[in-house]
Amino acid sequence: MEKSTIVCRCEEINIEEIELAIKNGARTFDDIKRLTRCGMGPCQAKICMNPVREIIATYTNTPLEDIPPPRLRMPAIPVRLGALANGVEDFKESSIASVFGESVEDGDEQNDESV
Amino acid sequence: MEADVLIVGAGPAGISAALTAEKFGAKVILIDESFSPGGQLRQQTQYFSNLPTGYAPDIGLKVIETLIKHLYASSVQVYTNHTMIGAYKNGMIGVTDGNKTFPILARANILAPGAQEEAKIFPGWTLPGVMTAGAAQILINRESVLPGKRAVMIGTNNFAFTVAKQLHDCGVTIEAFIEEKSQITCSDGILRDELKHVPVWTESTVQIAQGTGQVERVSVHTPEGRKEIDVDLICISNGFTPILEPFVIMDCELTYKKHLGGWVPLYNEKLQTTNPSCFIAGNAAGITDLGPILLTGEIAAISALEEIGILNSEEAEIERRKRWLELEKLENTAVCQARKNLIASSRSRQSPLTKSK
Repeated sequence: MEKSTIVCRCEEINIEEIELAIKNGARTFDDIKRLTRCGMGPCQAKICMNPVREIIATYTNTPLEDIPPPRLRMPAIPVRLGALANGVEDFKESSIASVFGESVEDGDEQNDESV
Repeated sequence: MEADVLIVGAGPAGISAALTAEKFGAKVILIDESFSPGGQLRQQTQYFSNLPTGYAPDIGLKVIETLIKHLYASSVQVYTNHTMIGAYKNGMIGVTDGNKTFPILARANILAPGAQEEAKIFPGWTLPGVMTAGAAQILINRESVLPGKRAVMIGTNNFAFTVAKQLHDCGVTIEAFIEEKSQITCSDGILRDELKHVPVWTESTVQIAQGTGQVERVSVHTPEGRKEIDVDLICISNGFTPILEPFVIMDCELTYKKHLGGWVPLYNEKLQTTNPSCFIAGNAAGITDLGPILLTGEIAAISALEEIGILNSEEAEIERRKRWLELEKLENTAVCQARKNLIASSRSRQSPLTKSK
């Protein structure tokens, strides 16, 4: 297929950019996301998730089922900051589960593996 | 806001779950991101006969109309325009109505977000006029807007033929079906017969869609060489895949099952995910036919009520078994087999109800 074909329409990432990321070692959707912003637009990978996984599978000659989906984080849809902040004072019982802790954890695990 | 059971998604599975839970005496909250309950059934004008006992065979939008009527006559609290966006540390689901964000505290959650259509990429697929079959169906059946006059349909599965027939009935000329495989995949003989005047190009792929500002023509690579036709609508029917966001946010483990639509949350015969407070129902579980979808709502509700002690285990087991038996009669073989494999793999896990880290 034409290398200039768009795969992630939100961030306008094409096949060539995804293949370049794979050439640089990307093996999962999240790797490609971190290198190219693919899947980081308003739809949050809803549309490009599987096309990207298929490109990785073909390019790296890996079965599709071995390519995991991206980590899908909150907020699950785009939300105005005002709407996110509005109501916070009413609830003291629990705080929002942080995505940062999880990122640090992921990072540590990956570092361990690569050492 | 507090309830015994929170149900996310008010499509057929979610409504069925809500009505079942309410019938057994639970306080139920049902939320949906849309302005109306009903989910994708609201634009299905095809006839459904393969329904569970208690349902009258009818076209999709009539089936859902009846369900919505029952829903509003029940004590279920329905919140439309409310979207699940995240979770709190103590396991509460976070919801927004666009103005504020707040938790809903429920003793059990049933997640029924449904499935989404798969995209298919080719040069020009981002041009206006290229859309999924489901999008075209929303336009004609819900918005009364004709998306084009001359169309091709990419894919030959049942949904491709269903929507092609509905477009045809609206006066859209279906120029061709384009199928990668060597034969039509639609299993509905009547539907195939109704569209037998439409050429089916097998072992064919779209090379490029072109046009200025919108689709004007499509080039297709076929075994007889390159074919080019003028079209203003390209519909993509590339199957469905479970919507995963709510499950990933709730830390439910996923597994890969091709015949259930790809990545799908792992669940057991109670339709309980690896997060014991979260149950799954409907198309998100890879269940595709309407009858089985409605029954998974009932099963998930029964299991959720068992989990929180409203039903005892024996009652729950009897009610569940009854519905699994009926479900199996209505389910297509490939899905049934894949679903059984998935449930078996959840059983063989060492601790099926705790997340492995």
